[in-house]
Amino acid sequence: MRLFGDTWRYLTAGGHWTGDGGLLDLLGQQLLLTVTALAMALVIGLPVALWLGHLGRGGWLAVNISGIGRAVPVFALLALLVTADWPGVRTAGPYGRAGLATLIALALFALPPIITNAYVAVREVPADVKQAAVGMGMTGGQRFARVELPLALPLVLSGVRLALVQVWATATIAALVAGPGLGRVITDGFARTQYGEGLAGAVVVAVVAVVLELAAAGLVRLSVQVPRVDTI
Amino acid sequence: MNVRRTAAALLSAGVLLTATACGAGDDLASDDNSPSAGSSGGGGKISIASQNFPEAALVTAMYEELLKNAGYQPSVKLVDTRDAYMATFPGQVDVVPEYVGGIVNFLNAKANGDSAKPFEAGDGEQLAQQGKKLLDDAGITLLDQSSATDTNAFFVTKKYSEDDGVTRLSDLKGKKVVLAAAPDCSGRLDCEGGLTDKYGIDVTKLLPLGYASDQTYKSVIDGESQLGETSTTDGTLDSQGLVVLDDDQHIQPAQNLVPAVSSDYLADHPDLPDVLDPLMKALTTEKLTELNGKVSVDREKPADVAHEFLTDEGLL
Repeated sequence: MRLFGDTWRYLTAGGHWTGDGGLLDLLGQQLLLTVTALAMALVIGLPVALWLGHLGRGGWLAVNISGIGRAVPVFALLALLVTADWPGVRTAGPYGRAGLATLIALALFALPPIITNAYVAVREVPADVKQAAVGMGMTGGQRFARVELPLALPLVLSGVRLALVQVWATATIAALVAGPGLGRVITDGFARTQYGEGLAGAVVVAVVAVVLELAAAGLVRLSVQVPRVDTI
Repeated sequence: MNVRRTAAALLSAGVLLTATACGAGDDLASDDNSPSAGSSGGGGKISIASQNFPEAALVTAMYEELLKNAGYQPSVKLVDTRDAYMATFPGQVDVVPEYVGGIVNFLNAKANGDSAKPFEAGDGEQLAQQGKKLLDDAGITLLDQSSATDTNAFFVTKKYSEDDGVTRLSDLKGKKVVLAAAPDCSGRLDCEGGLTDKYGIDVTKLLPLGYASDQTYKSVIDGESQLGETSTTDGTLDSQGLVVLDDDQHIQPAQNLVPAVSSDYLADHPDLPDVLDPLMKALTTEKLTELNGKVSVDREKPADVAHEFLTDEGLL
């Protein structure tokens, strides 16, 4: 019980939130890491997965890339990257020490949900709808842009949403290579046996994860207004 | 789903069975441990706990073999941090290979809060004397100390040491350095705090890369940081082209190796010091450093290194 008291005191002390290395500062750093890594994963993963889904082929590839991505522990990957000559531990601007290595590890971690969802979403657009589009004389590009993508969008976006929350929570590992983010609060707390501080860091990460999830869900709902098809 | 459930059921049944089996074993064991059995001399079950970094694992292996040799049935548990075993010591754990400053300051922080002023005596016996009340209150007795001591130490590359003529920490006075150290280093008197206040070193940045960790070595070797934290008994430095700087202003509290024993267990087993004292006499800082090197650099097993040492010293 004393632990929760310590946690509460840490969180409610204003001094812990502000200034250099304060919770808000670290939160900003971690958000930047998360958003950048997610953007990298989107740029790499989305086009490939959507294209494969459109072809209805290469599922083997998409599923296996995702499978491998899920099976490799992010931390192991990060450890490998920082010991390699490139990218190593060099400081990358606002991404801090070993910034590039952390971004790569997180982006790869974000790929599986993005690829799987996008591929499956496009592929599983009902066959009769696709055939109807062909029957109307649409080209491949038109079919993709006007039929498959709108129908697949909710599932594609839910993959992105999943990746966002996963990457956010996992970005705490940056602290293990002395990088930026809220992970620092957690590792410091445990290293100094100030468990209240460690738990406080975890609570902030969890709360922000929920907020991100809700915000993303709201955005998805706004953007996916499936047009009603008026029957004549 | 069904398959999974069956598996889970089988698994939990298995765990239950094992648990019951252990329970029965413990009952028998506590019979063995009754005072009448203990006072008749050596033997009986003894539980050892320690941390799992190489040196602790090595010294624990020495305890284990010596105790086995003396007719005890030791069981060993190695954990990540001191916190993890101190919750069950004394009690379920009977003996811990400890460091004087480590255990006294742990008890001090526990009894007087995290901000309690730590004991800083540089002499092991003196420090144990200062911490006697804390130890008594906790039901812990320290046996004879070894001359071997493992304190924090700070290293630089050999090249830097030779080029700039830096052999002592006070040679770094006024210089700007990046320090790679354990995450709890910031502000501590035996770490960043002492380096700044006592030595006047300008620590511009503290990288929390770990105590004697590969990341810390790499950071110093690569020139990202100039100073790294390790222990005085680190056997890996020489082979990596690193060298420890002398702590000439004595910011490190004494960390002599010492067996910490549950006072109750000791009362029932008065022969325990006879088993462990010779080991404490045989160990020196130099020997320990060399043995650590065998574990960390040559990748020998702690138990093998321990056995070889005990045989060479004629302790078996």
